[in-house]
Amino acid sequence: MKYLARRLAYAVLLLGTISIFSFALLQWAPGNFFDSMRLDPHVSAQTVNAMRARYGANGPFVVCYAGWIRSLVKGDMGYSFAYGTAAGPLLWTRARNTLVLTASGTLLAWLLALPLGIWSAANKGTWGEKICGAATSSLMTIPDLLLSLILLLLAVRTGWFPTGGMISSGAANASFWSEIADIVRHLILPVAALTVSILPMLVRHIRSAMIDALESPFIRAARGHGIPRRRLLFVYALRAASNPLITLFGFSIAGMLSASLIVEVVLSWPGLGPLMVQSILARDVYVVIGIVMLSSVFLVAGNLVADVLLFVTDPRIRVE
Amino acid sequence: MPKAATKRRALVCLAMILVAALYLANTRAAQQKEDVMVTSNALGRPGGTLTLAVRSDPKTLNPVLAVDETTREIIDCMNADLIHINRETQQPEAALAKSWSISHDGETYTLHIRRGLRFSDGQPLTADDVVFSFQLYLDEKIDSPQRDLLMVGGKPISVEKIDDYTVRFHLAQPYAAAERLFDGLAILPKHLLESAYKAGTFAQSWGVSAAPDQFAGLGPFRLKEYVPGQRIVLERNPYYWKVDGTGRRLPYIDTLVFLFVPSEDAQVIRFQAGDTDLLSRFSAADFSVLQREQAAKGYQLEDLGSGLEYNFLFFNLNNLDGKNLPAITRKQSWFRDVRFRQAVSAAIDRDGIVRLVYEGRATPLWSQVTPGNKLWLNTALVQPAQSLEHARELLRGASFSWSSSGALLDPSRQPVEFSILTSSSNAERTKMATLIQDDLSKLGMNVHIVPLDFQSMVARLLNSFDYEAAIMGLASGDVDPTSDMNVWLSNGGTHLWNLTESKPATAWEAEINQLMNEQLVTLNYGQRKLLYDRVQQIVADELPVICLASPHVLVGASRRVGNFHPSILEPSALWNIDELYVH
Repeated sequence: MKYLARRLAYAVLLLGTISIFSFALLQWAPGNFFDSMRLDPHVSAQTVNAMRARYGANGPFVVCYAGWIRSLVKGDMGYSFAYGTAAGPLLWTRARNTLVLTASGTLLAWLLALPLGIWSAANKGTWGEKICGAATSSLMTIPDLLLSLILLLLAVRTGWFPTGGMISSGAANASFWSEIADIVRHLILPVAALTVSILPMLVRHIRSAMIDALESPFIRAARGHGIPRRRLLFVYALRAASNPLITLFGFSIAGMLSASLIVEVVLSWPGLGPLMVQSILARDVYVVIGIVMLSSVFLVAGNLVADVLLFVTDPRIRVE
Repeated sequence: MPKAATKRRALVCLAMILVAALYLANTRAAQQKEDVMVTSNALGRPGGTLTLAVRSDPKTLNPVLAVDETTREIIDCMNADLIHINRETQQPEAALAKSWSISHDGETYTLHIRRGLRFSDGQPLTADDVVFSFQLYLDEKIDSPQRDLLMVGGKPISVEKIDDYTVRFHLAQPYAAAERLFDGLAILPKHLLESAYKAGTFAQSWGVSAAPDQFAGLGPFRLKEYVPGQRIVLERNPYYWKVDGTGRRLPYIDTLVFLFVPSEDAQVIRFQAGDTDLLSRFSAADFSVLQREQAAKGYQLEDLGSGLEYNFLFFNLNNLDGKNLPAITRKQSWFRDVRFRQAVSAAIDRDGIVRLVYEGRATPLWSQVTPGNKLWLNTALVQPAQSLEHARELLRGASFSWSSSGALLDPSRQPVEFSILTSSSNAERTKMATLIQDDLSKLGMNVHIVPLDFQSMVARLLNSFDYEAAIMGLASGDVDPTSDMNVWLSNGGTHLWNLTESKPATAWEAEINQLMNEQLVTLNYGQRKLLYDRVQQIVADELPVICLASPHVLVGASRRVGNFHPSILEPSALWNIDELYVH
């Protein structure tokens, strides 16, 4: 319990620091939302200045930050200059969509990476394992952007998959299961992009952790005792390798979140990615900070889960 | 067949004919009572769904607060204005106002509103709604971006109700483009918005999260569904006030879907995949790609020629006293010399820009008015071809010289070296900068290109003035010169090359001020044209901005879209959305 409380306190401290840094970076970044309005020949400088004053965009850093903390407590998460509304409601729906995508991608990536990594470790040095290694190395070199574009091209050329969005226009009025099927169909390409982007890294880490475990004396002893190979791999070695893999799980969430921003933009998934790009370009600062904070919360929560799992699985941490 | 049965059948037929005749007569009568507008478009087929992609979600659905182009495009499908600029003829025409008259002094406009019209929720439109709408646009506390348009002679226009269907607008002085002011100013339902306005919460009204039943407009469509990050769906407004030649109420389309697709590439791909029916604002490169598939897929692709956007290079002529920018201040002695600017202009190969940047789908420019603006283009302007020899002559005349290595030296024997800012998100302008860099290197100028993200660039142009030269583009929303007042008046907010002028810095700027102000109050088109021709001539001679090229307006539609007649004025493909239909 004390361990959990300590991790939670760290998490809150980390989130606070991230918020101050991101706030400061955006405050000091050149340009602001209202400047580009001044390029509209129809809008006078007076009107722009009045809007700037009304939204409190002229205030010093501390005042703006304090105002943001107050609105965070209310659940508004600041004010979107572009949308003229609280930033919070803009973010919730999109955060949910991003979570659906990243959770599906993480799940699928781990479901594929575990057997592949274990198989590679168990068959170290064979031709099959070398081919698998070469394939994962090649996949690692493909940037997320290129991968997403290739998948998009595939969708256009074949017509097998939707080319964007999360749900078809008519599907919202269909039955629950039809709606789910439609969402799954729309998920295929972005999840595939996310999975492929992270799978090679997972496979290689799992392989390495498993090789370490398989070469440890207790596994050799167990093998000598005639314990079946399958039981040796999936019960003893995997459990011994789980410590670095759980830590890897925390990292994989970070990788997933950053990849999802690009995948969402290219494959038009209605998550936080497109809104983030739009808001950064427009300097809609509170929306950007809201997205940064939500992504940080996801990341910190993922790492917290990993910490708790480590606590459960590793007795050494419990003793410490 | 028995006689009785035949007689019965004949009676039924007669009754049906009578009912049909009565129904038609009733509909006609209702429409007459309604004072509908009869359009002259080719007859379309009712029903179906039209889908198109826009870059982002609408930021609001409140017409008084809308700023960005995407938001306005969506809002315009749900609203209507009193007088509308016909995107085809570029002239104002009757819309919700059936007719209007102008007082002899040009300061009073009396508008007669169509009778019997209804908002999309079925409530009637009256002069009260018009007065209320203008009250919103003009309220200083609301900060509507449209408020500045309604300032004439430094004073807001005023509006009064004469009767239920007549309103009168008073202007502080005659205003040449007064009728054009009304274009795009949506008339709003007082019955839905008055309480929020009185409670001081109008700025929060009609946000994107509001329920569809909170909205009502006079446009061809009304809100059906908004799914954040994905789409906004509009449905046909059953009370719309336009009918076609057969008396059928417009629009033809039942459902209009805007998908939010953030990038141009993805928009083109979705058009190719058949997910969307209309495509606009795309590059010449994408146009070529689509053109290759045109025959197989039956796209309707149109190159409408140059639009109203003009791209230009300009130098920093701001007063930099107190800015601590000595390097730029030193170079301003070159930038302020018209012969230097003329030499730069003469050295630029505009045809090369058109060919290499826009694949031929642009028009070279020598002044700010593009050939797309047929009403105001000064056709007498000289359009000199690239001439390095002439450029060298001009530089020699301004005491510039060349080193033995061919580098251009200023009168104090310092090498001529400067940087050009461009927006990194605009690939075309960055390419233009590269070509200009190459052209100017032939004169011995050492030019550096500095691509910056748009907001950082804007901050330098408008706030810190920390730049030497920049490439920008501006696009007037309308063909009329009044829409560019802020650019050409020396104290205008978009007078980019010198934003520090409390009074005109040069004699020619004073002349532009005088000409622009005069054309603003001159009601005769011919006289106005002469005044604005002179402005164009001064710009072409003095070159505060060195105009480069105007990209063509490129639009596409799938083969199933009927009545597709795009225009160079925005919204290019959607301006006649009420007449579009799908096969």
